[in-house]
Amino acid sequence: MDRKEIDIEKSAGRGVFRRLLAYARPYMHWMFFSLVLVLFITMLELYRPIIVGKVIDLFMDQASFAAVRNQGLLYLAVLLASFACNFLQTWVLQLTGQSIIYNIREEVFDHVTRLSLRFFDITPVGRIVTRVTNDVEALHEMYANILVRLIKNVVKIVGLAAMMLVLNVRIALFSFALLPFIVALTVLFKRISRMTYRITRTKLTALNTYLSEHLSGMRVIQIFAREREKNAEFGRKNKDLYRANYREMMVFAVFRPSIYFLSIIALVSIIYTGSASVLEGVITVGTLYTFIEYINSFFQPIQELAEQFGTLQSAMASAEKIFTLLDEDTMIPEPKQPVSPEKLRGRIAFEHVWFAYQGEEWILKDVSFTIEPGSRVAFVGATGAGKSSILNLIGRYYDIQRGRITVDGIDIRELDKSRLRAAIGQVQQDVFIFTGDIGGNIRLKNASITDDQVEQAAKYVNADEFIRRLPGGYREPVTERGSTLSAGQRQLLSFARTLAFDPSILVMDEATANIDTETELLIQEALEKLMRGRTTIMVAHRLSTIQHADKIIVMHKGELRESGTHQELLARNGIYKKLYELQLHKEADGSGRTAQKKGEGRE
Amino acid sequence: MIRNYIRKYKYSYLIGMLILLAVDYLGLFIPQYTGEITDGLRGGMGIEGVLRLIGRILLVGAGMALGRFGWRYFIFGAARKIEYELRGEMFEHLSGLSMRYYNEHKTGDLMAHFTNDLSAIRMSMGPAVISTFDAVVMTVMVIAKMIFHVSLSLTLLACIPMLFILAGGIYYGKAAERRFDEKQKAFSDMTDQVQESISGIRVIKAFVQEKMEREAFAEANRNNKEKNLRVVRLQAIVMPLLDVIIGISSVITLFYGGSLVLRGKITAGQFVAFSSYVNMLVWPMLAVGDSINSFSQGFASMKRVEAIFREQPEIVDGPAAAGGPERLQGRISVRGLTFSYQTGPERSAADDSGMERDGARQAAGADGTGADGPRSEPVVIPPALSGLSLEIARGETLAILGRTGSGKTTFANLLVRMYDVEEGMLRIDGHDLRAIPLAVLRESIAYVPQDNFLFSDTLQTNIAFGVRKLSDVPEEVFREGEASSRIFMSHKERLEEYLEQDFFRSKNRMDEAYNDLGPVTEAAKKACIHDNIMDFPKKYSTMVGERGVTISGGQKQRSSIARALMKDAPILILDDALSAVDTDTEEKILRNLKEERAGRTTIIIAHRISTIQNADHILVLEQGRMAEYGTHEELLQAGGIYAQLYEKQQLEKQLETA
Repeated sequence: MDRKEIDIEKSAGRGVFRRLLAYARPYMHWMFFSLVLVLFITMLELYRPIIVGKVIDLFMDQASFAAVRNQGLLYLAVLLASFACNFLQTWVLQLTGQSIIYNIREEVFDHVTRLSLRFFDITPVGRIVTRVTNDVEALHEMYANILVRLIKNVVKIVGLAAMMLVLNVRIALFSFALLPFIVALTVLFKRISRMTYRITRTKLTALNTYLSEHLSGMRVIQIFAREREKNAEFGRKNKDLYRANYREMMVFAVFRPSIYFLSIIALVSIIYTGSASVLEGVITVGTLYTFIEYINSFFQPIQELAEQFGTLQSAMASAEKIFTLLDEDTMIPEPKQPVSPEKLRGRIAFEHVWFAYQGEEWILKDVSFTIEPGSRVAFVGATGAGKSSILNLIGRYYDIQRGRITVDGIDIRELDKSRLRAAIGQVQQDVFIFTGDIGGNIRLKNASITDDQVEQAAKYVNADEFIRRLPGGYREPVTERGSTLSAGQRQLLSFARTLAFDPSILVMDEATANIDTETELLIQEALEKLMRGRTTIMVAHRLSTIQHADKIIVMHKGELRESGTHQELLARNGIYKKLYELQLHKEADGSGRTAQKKGEGRE
Repeated sequence: MIRNYIRKYKYSYLIGMLILLAVDYLGLFIPQYTGEITDGLRGGMGIEGVLRLIGRILLVGAGMALGRFGWRYFIFGAARKIEYELRGEMFEHLSGLSMRYYNEHKTGDLMAHFTNDLSAIRMSMGPAVISTFDAVVMTVMVIAKMIFHVSLSLTLLACIPMLFILAGGIYYGKAAERRFDEKQKAFSDMTDQVQESISGIRVIKAFVQEKMEREAFAEANRNNKEKNLRVVRLQAIVMPLLDVIIGISSVITLFYGGSLVLRGKITAGQFVAFSSYVNMLVWPMLAVGDSINSFSQGFASMKRVEAIFREQPEIVDGPAAAGGPERLQGRISVRGLTFSYQTGPERSAADDSGMERDGARQAAGADGTGADGPRSEPVVIPPALSGLSLEIARGETLAILGRTGSGKTTFANLLVRMYDVEEGMLRIDGHDLRAIPLAVLRESIAYVPQDNFLFSDTLQTNIAFGVRKLSDVPEEVFREGEASSRIFMSHKERLEEYLEQDFFRSKNRMDEAYNDLGPVTEAAKKACIHDNIMDFPKKYSTMVGERGVTISGGQKQRSSIARALMKDAPILILDDALSAVDTDTEEKILRNLKEERAGRTTIIIAHRISTIQNADHILVLEQGRMAEYGTHEELLQAGGIYAQLYEKQQLEKQLETA
């Protein structure tokens, strides 16, 4: 995993970095401004010990209070100036960082919504969500903190070194001698701490995975009476994590004091050489003070630098993932010169259509048929015969490999995509309910559909009645997957949704779910109304629906086997005939059953 | 409860605090020595004098470094140990709680107790203790040093701005937390928005709502940005302001201290030392504010964790179980069995869904709040089972059929005592369920749950799940890995190896410990999964789940059957356990079962007629009531639900083969 990441960094690191910088380009002037401020701040910071050093020297010279006061006022001025600069710099930079992040997020989400269903078929939802949210968040650190701090620390180190050299070359060089040790120790610590951190992370993930698995599988554990064994197993994972945590703690417990001790050594050596120089009269006591202050603030930026490189690396890894998503191009291409007719009447034709989701695994093999505007066509066949794929192809959610699909004589690949899809109303078996209220689920986010239209649509498809009975009516809140609505209610709601968008073609997968008889009647009636005046293409399961279709198409293993009206197909004496006979049998039984059930329920 | 832990580690805390005290005390000497050097240089001290003082500084520094290691070791170590023990106890306690508890608490929430709450507790037991103690001690000592070593009046003046930091720190902590919460909320709102857009992408595309969806996202994105900037604005002001306040203290020191030096009241050296002391006060002031927040969070977490420990297991061995049977034969009698889930309306029909939460919700949606009842009124939960009476003789096979929510799984749940029913409603071998020790009851029933829950473990371990005892695993397996807990590791490769191996090695050790593969393969063969397993490269050591191969639903079901068969129990329950298995294999498994289960009781819950038609009796449930009961032939004759289903499935079969 890590090795792979390193490889990625090597091969694409530069490209990734350039792309990241491209996002910053519109804000270059602000970033530059912030950089100038950083230089200012660093200068001011470096100036402060000099003032205090001077004051000390003034004491040594028994100077007047006025001189001390002047230095004090100067100090105050420096203080206020650095406050202003600091505030401005932080604000400008964060604003820039947030704006860049905002743009990237926008772009990623935008891109994702344009991808074809194929992408969503094969990519887990969680992964996409992580890209848009957490991975982009990781970049924020880079834009808002790391880049500038990196520069700030480099400037600070260089500035400190320069100042020290200016003040006194000998002492300066002497202090630099300690530098390699500090760097070496810091690097060593970073290495070890990263390793221990990774072990801890692994153990923690292992424990959390174990926990979530076993908490949700507690039923199985209890049924099999394995509580004691699982407790022991958890104990082992827990101990693993404890040991990893302990190790991490020890690393810090050793390192932090070591760095501290090293800083004491640095302090002491400065004092020693400094004192010698003071005694020789080369420097003043005040300069020595300045040196001591400098050496104390010399270590911090070095340690921070090491930390920032680590963050930079993880930001790059996130960027890599984001760019991979952005480079994903399983899109259904929009035609160059889209035809967008005023209204699609709904004459649909498949001409020798071959289709596979991948490779040569053909789902549809040389399928041809024509559907006249306003007619009802029912697809019949076993699961996997390719019925649902046909429904998806009409809305061009996937592109076919061979052949041609036309609507009103126009190849759908030349039609304006949104115009095509807007003309098609999809009624799905698994009705997706968005978090929000009932009304919002009918009009979706289309503000041009008024409350009145929403209610009318609901009334027309018999949904109004149950909606009105909800405590909040059309404002009743619902949640994803519609846990508070029954399957039948969800179906009615989806009819209302489809009707509100007034499509000229209706594409639907007849529900097979068990729905109570009362709602079932409402649904049948609503469906009948919905289909009126619309080209309807459906995957049907009920004989009654099939029988009333203008055309029945029997699919088998990706091929069109029979087609025609009910009577024609019966006359043909093929698959359909066999199906019909069996079904007839059942329907007769079914009516007997309801009667019986009613009698029984009261017993 | 937390108090007990503190008592347990009181010596660690005591030693840690003593060390901390010593470190703080030593810390005061370094500025004093540097001050003395400054004065000495001015007063004509030679290089020897400087060296002597330098020696002292080094000594103090070494002592402090050691001490800093020491308090980390004792106090952080104790906090880690408390976290570790608490975590272990919490899991153990949870494993004893009954299903009702798990129905009412989401796995995610329980996880949060283990992650967020435990770490908040640790933070308040470790770093916060140190910070508070350290801050108080430091402040007292530094101020004392300032007063006695330098000047009282200077100290008072210089400390005034510090009070602002203290007050501001507490206020800032609260404000920051509020803004931070808002920011978190904006982020999670945005995440929800994305989550929903992606989950509902098919609808969005079908209704050409991409643009609207993008706008909605842009809104969430903008809100997230704004809330982030609110946090930033606070930080952008407060952090530099802190610098200013400290600076003002320095300026006061400069003005007043300077005049004191000039008037000869204090020496320049004292002035230098004083400047350092002022800087030393900054950290404690900030730390106090931090610790207050940390303590309040830790306290809230402790309360939540304690609530878990207060939860009492419902399903336990009662006094009646004391003289209960040690073995069961498998004669089950059901008399007037009525049961309803008394939880919220959401889970009223959690019946057929087992633990699967999604399933539970769907079932609740389909049945609990049907179209014919307004949802707002106090929900009268229809009983999941009502007035069910039947006898299952030892060795009989009973099949149960019914739609989703008709009470099939509830029946199975009640048999293994996931929930309790009234006395006399359920008896096995004439004993009321509560008069049978829980361990005996559950050992005597092999259960294949509907959701086929397998653990992320090897297939062997999964199949042997029900029979592997703790005592089968040698002690050393649990100590595995201890040897490699070294702090320093030379190569990265080695680390990776360690990470990989540590997991798998101990797994394999577990399997070795239970190295009798014989019964496992036997059970696998009966469940018709053996051949599949042998096709996997790692055979029985194949990992299930994320770290191993993904096995299909049918393979999962059959593994789950093998797991139950391995138990060789007098009662076997198959809860819709053959739904993902093709008809041929199903037939084979059923044949094996017939052989294997001769003379023992089997309950099969299914939807497919082919699965159940050979059962001794078939029970058809409808809304928790017995709708039909009899043999296959009898029910076909009766021409009811069963007969109708039979016809329908015949038709489907024709369709498949057409």
